Amino acid sequence: MDGEFVSLVGEAKGLNSKVFSLVRLELLSGLSALGREGATFRELKAILGGSDGGLLANLKALEAMGYVKRATVTLESRKLESFQVTEQGVEQWEHVRAWLHKFVARGGD
Amino acid sequence: MGDVGKLVACLKELGFKPKVDSFQHRLVIQKVMYLLERKGVKTGFTFGLYVRGPYSPDLTEAFYSHRKEVEGLKGGSELNAKEKADVCELNALFSLNASWLEVAATYAFFAYAQGLDPFTATIKVRELKPFFSEAQIAVGTSKAKEFLFKPTEKDLKEMKDEFSVWESASAVN
Repeated sequence: MDGEFVSLVGEAKGLNSKVFSLVRLELLSGLSALGREGATFRELKAILGGSDGGLLANLKALEAMGYVKRATVTLESRKLESFQVTEQGVEQWEHVRAWLHKFVARGGD
Repeated sequence: MGDVGKLVACLKELGFKPKVDSFQHRLVIQKVMYLLERKGVKTGFTFGLYVRGPYSPDLTEAFYSHRKEVEGLKGGSELNAKEKADVCELNALFSLNASWLEVAATYAFFAYAQGLDPFTATIKVRELKPFFSEAQIAVGTSKAKEFLFKPTEKDLKEMKDEFSVWESASAVN
């Protein structure tokens, strides 16, 4: 094992391994880009696909970790659920992203 | 950062006094400003394709950091005659209808910013906004075309050729 790998493993200990699923990373990335505006459930569902139940379970998991918060918004007299990333969520996403960059840059050797 | 003075001027011209805390108002402004930007009313806000369709994080930040000016329609700069006409045209076409604006802005992104053909652009709108009915998508895309379509030389030639047949026919009678 080379020193770079050992250092990467060490840095990974500071990350929350519960966010390492494709859909959770996509949610954190997508919502972080939108900042305080957030996105409605139907918008997230349209872009990420999957079942309502699966997406909601992942959003609830991120909510329980403090990375996402939800609100009810009104659009053309309809009530919609909207999700926003929290400061903690942005921080975690930036951490994960930086680590992934290093991980990928290491290459396949 | 975009030009908040111009944003306020556009809102004044639309006769729209938004509430920053209203989700619908923020959405309407995002889509209106995107369509106006594409029409040539330059405000300097940067738009990209996000989960929500065309969207500008700078514009959202401007709502909150300039809440007083935006809600009170204070301190707007002057729009020139062409810009005023563009805002009026948009207002007459869309009547600030959130669904039409959302569909139209998304269609505009695919068709005019990415240069996709109308058929593919409409498919992309359906994929990104499947919660809109076919009728809403049809109306929204048609309004986007009406607002933004600029005929090319080729389009003009084709139209001229097509119309010349009818013109000759009417001249005979």
